[in-house]
Amino acid sequence: MTPLYGSTAVAGIGVRQYKRGTSPLPERGVLTQAVIDACADAGFDPADVDGFVSYGDDHNEPVRLMSDLGTRELKWSSMVWGGGGGGIAGAFGLAAAAIISGQASAVIVFRALVEGSSGRLSAAVMAHHLNDHMLAAGIVAPAQVCAIRANRMYEHHGVSRAVAEELVRASYYHGSRNPDAVAYGRELDLDAMRNSRWIAEPFRLFDCSRENDGAGAFLMVSAERARDLKKPPVYLLGCANGAEKGWGDLLENDDEALYPTAGFRPIARRLYADTGLSPADIDVVQLYENFSAQGVASLIDHGFCTYENVAEVIRFDNLIAPTGKLPANTGGGNFAQGFIHGIGTAIEAVKQLRGESANPVPDAKIGLLAGGPGAPTVSSAIFGNIVP
Amino acid sequence: MLLIDGADAPYWNGLADGALMLPRCEACGTWLWPASDRCGSCGSIQVAWIERAMTGTIFSWTRTWHRFGFTEALDLPFVSIVATVDDCDIRLLGRLDDPDQLDPQIGEAISGRIGSTRVENRDIPTIIWSRNA
Ligand SMILES: [Zn+2]
Repeated sequence: MTPLYGSTAVAGIGVRQYKRGTSPLPERGVLTQAVIDACADAGFDPADVDGFVSYGDDHNEPVRLMSDLGTRELKWSSMVWGGGGGGIAGAFGLAAAAIISGQASAVIVFRALVEGSSGRLSAAVMAHHLNDHMLAAGIVAPAQVCAIRANRMYEHHGVSRAVAEELVRASYYHGSRNPDAVAYGRELDLDAMRNSRWIAEPFRLFDCSRENDGAGAFLMVSAERARDLKKPPVYLLGCANGAEKGWGDLLENDDEALYPTAGFRPIARRLYADTGLSPADIDVVQLYENFSAQGVASLIDHGFCTYENVAEVIRFDNLIAPTGKLPANTGGGNFAQGFIHGIGTAIEAVKQLRGESANPVPDAKIGLLAGGPGAPTVSSAIFGNIVP
Repeated sequence: MLLIDGADAPYWNGLADGALMLPRCEACGTWLWPASDRCGSCGSIQVAWIERAMTGTIFSWTRTWHRFGFTEALDLPFVSIVATVDDCDIRLLGRLDDPDQLDPQIGEAISGRIGSTRVENRDIPTIIWSRNA
């Protein structure tokens, strides 16, 4: 068993989410509020936070938060490499590494994104990756990069395009029932979805996540310390981050078999081996879906289905709480809950295991957080409200 | 990024001179793309740049309809492809002529010519592919 297994826990969560361009505070101010919220949630003095971890080229260097938070001493400040959302789950592993090794004791995992402060996320992600090979081909946005992979998955590997619609519908179904979601109270109009404008084939508008302003923060401490705090601990059981040979930042020259995947094959392999868990043990999945096809590929990579049986597993009925066998994106996901570089999927992972979800999965004990798919470096994590 | 900078400079200079030049390890023959200064397969740092014909097959594609920043010089919609170059293992990003908006087929044979793509104030050499008649 990995030393990560059950040794640390999320003790508090905080999130502030706004429609893009409407944040009442600049980015750092929103982030400060989210951190304060996370500490209040746990009943923890924010001045005692001594570490910070982020991902996706977040602009808020932790040392600059110290004054507003009253931080006594900063002991750990680090970032998972990678411009996309691939590092989101890995950030929890990094926080746990700091705590287990004694280099910090109370670590905030965060991501903040306010357009007025940092510009559009899609542009920032591409600034990380753009080169003349891409510019010459007119490939300048994450949607296009993922669209090319999606067409290969659909056409060459025989995955039905209809599967992606099932996933989108499940996200919107949950979002429409989550008061914290951008889609709250609105049923998805199937005709509008199917006839929405093309962005980059095979993606229409509804196949794409849309950005929000806001910030999310998670307080992580040792499992022992978490048990003394206000909320029930949500234990980190495992985390894997990285890329295997034949996958990465390769100008589309990935190994042919890996090309249409979301990059998670080695991540899933390690995650299950390290925890002794398998897809059958996962009660609920929070799936970072930047684009519909990449969400499908992620579920395949994580072992929930194969190219052959994907249409039997990724069905609307099967994906929705409380009755589906593979409840996914129970908060609404990036599509319908909101998109602050995926932080909402991690928030829902914790809420679900605390019984605080708007769409509770009965008796959920183990949840998978599948990080940003298709990025050169990807990561996933497994959380539990028990340590089995 | 300067066109003449980096490990792939001979590629860009080749296109400017009208030829598709691609890098291969001199020691073990592995094609190296993205261009690199060391062969990860055998450790050699001897890289040979070899001319290849601008013929290949479609590996995958997308047709873009949304006006993304940096694509202002391209008429919408436009088709971007990943092309597998014949007689080497390298795939290249490029654009495909799309006069009739017929969906590209994976594996379809294509031929390229050298054009350019205007991005901000630069003209980037670009292989424009067409379906073989
Ligand atoms: Zn070699």
